[in-house]
Amino acid sequence: MDTMDCTQARNLLSEYQDGALDAEAVAALTAHLRGCGECAGSADSLLTVREQLRSLPHDPAPPELLARVLAAVEAEDRDARAGSTAGGADATRPFLSRFRFPLEAAAAVLLFASVYWYQRTSTPPVRPPSAPTARAPEATPPVDIPPEASSSTANVTPPAIRLPRGNPKTAKKEEAPAAAKPRAWTAADLPSVPAILASTNSERIVPVAPGPGPTIYPGRPGAPAYGERGSADAEGGADSRLSRSFAPPPSRLLRPLPYGRDIVVDVKPESREGVEERIAGAALRLGGIFERFDRGPGEAIPGAPGTVRVILPEAAAARFLEEMGRIGSIPPEGTPASTDLPAGPRPGTVAYAVHIRVR
Amino acid sequence: MERPGGKGQSVDLLVEAFRKGKPGAFEAIVRAHQDRVYSFCARMLSDREDALDAAQEVFLSAWRNLAGFRGEAALSTWLLRIAANRCLNRIRRRKSLSEREAPWPESPGEEGEGIIFQPAADETERPDRLAETCEMGEILTEALSRLDPGSRWMVLLSDVEGFSYEEIATLAEVPVGTVKSRLHRARMAMRRLLSPVA
Repeated sequence: MDTMDCTQARNLLSEYQDGALDAEAVAALTAHLRGCGECAGSADSLLTVREQLRSLPHDPAPPELLARVLAAVEAEDRDARAGSTAGGADATRPFLSRFRFPLEAAAAVLLFASVYWYQRTSTPPVRPPSAPTARAPEATPPVDIPPEASSSTANVTPPAIRLPRGNPKTAKKEEAPAAAKPRAWTAADLPSVPAILASTNSERIVPVAPGPGPTIYPGRPGAPAYGERGSADAEGGADSRLSRSFAPPPSRLLRPLPYGRDIVVDVKPESREGVEERIAGAALRLGGIFERFDRGPGEAIPGAPGTVRVILPEAAAARFLEEMGRIGSIPPEGTPASTDLPAGPRPGTVAYAVHIRVR
Repeated sequence: MERPGGKGQSVDLLVEAFRKGKPGAFEAIVRAHQDRVYSFCARMLSDREDALDAAQEVFLSAWRNLAGFRGEAALSTWLLRIAANRCLNRIRRRKSLSEREAPWPESPGEEGEGIIFQPAADETERPDRLAETCEMGEILTEALSRLDPGSRWMVLLSDVEGFSYEEIATLAEVPVGTVKSRLHRARMAMRRLLSPVA
């Protein structure tokens, strides 16, 4: 019995000829084909087409196909072999592009760390000398500024001083022997400072040739003075060479300051008069220079705060602080810890701004 | 007619020889399969140079990947899968370059389905006219070229190369039912094209 229409039957012809229909569908389709000549004709022609397709011969490949395939394979094989030897494809790449990212990153980090380490070790922070209160008083007798010296800056007469010179790295080691080989220093030996125009609130005092004064850097008898080379050093002795042969050059970027760059001195109102001059005198006696006064806004008012800028030999920094302690009292915040300034005075010298506060 | 896997044993031996690095093994593989691969490419692409390039790509890809060939199917089946993908890629590229082979607009056909073959542009190029001067193989090839490429490769793999519905469905990444319906429509189109000579 035919239970299928022509459309359904034709839609099943392909699967029927492929043997992909179930028995029930095969029975229904066979019954329809038996009774429908048109669908049976379609099935026959479809079967013929499929048989013709199935018998379609393979066209022979052109002879050049094999040659081209083998040539391509050989070329790729050659490239692969070249890539596995002598660095492979990297050998033909530009120099910079050969580096892989992790290697580049590692190299950059290593380079940065090396430079940073070198920079840090090339300029060890200057350790401040022992606290002023801890210094042996007998080594340097107290220096009192004569009252007449504080009346005018023109009358300031600095005592004989020895200005440490030479490599600041060896300052501590070489500062002691100065007493054995005294040498008088003049202002010409001081580090050059920029000339500052005199104004109403600033002036510059250039030290004159000092007279005899206290020895600032007592040391071992027979040892060379600070900044001076001993005989062995002057002759290129082995000790000196050994101590300096591997020393990195001093940094041009950092300047050590034993006590920061600002010192605060508190003075009583009745002692305010002439404090700048006393500070200047102390700086000159210690071998430094007194650069200028910066008085406060109430310049004409006695007792106004002020600032004195001084430049000192590095080794005299502690002594200068001691002197400031005699002039007034230094509050805890008045002597900051040592620091390395990114810029500053010449090597071997320190520059301070002494702020005078009236309390 | 050689079916896929018909020479499986000998091909397996060739693949094994290639893996062992024996000289000439790959050349033997190419010689054994170049006609089938080239014919498939030529019927898919209807262009000799394109077919040569595609066949070369197929064998080069096989050379690169034979080490990973697991032998789950015959080597000929594997090669034809590669060839089908390469040809379809070329047809897609060709379509994107020019719209010469753009699909015809969908419209109900004789049996309520979309047209899946391209009618001849000229009456003189109809297969029944060509039959007077051409061999049956050329007529079939010409009729195949009129099919939509998406159906053509299924007819070639199924009716010419003997792939099963499941194999084609796996290759086309479509359900088996879709393969059946598309094959049926393509075969019926072939029947109509070839009815004067079939």
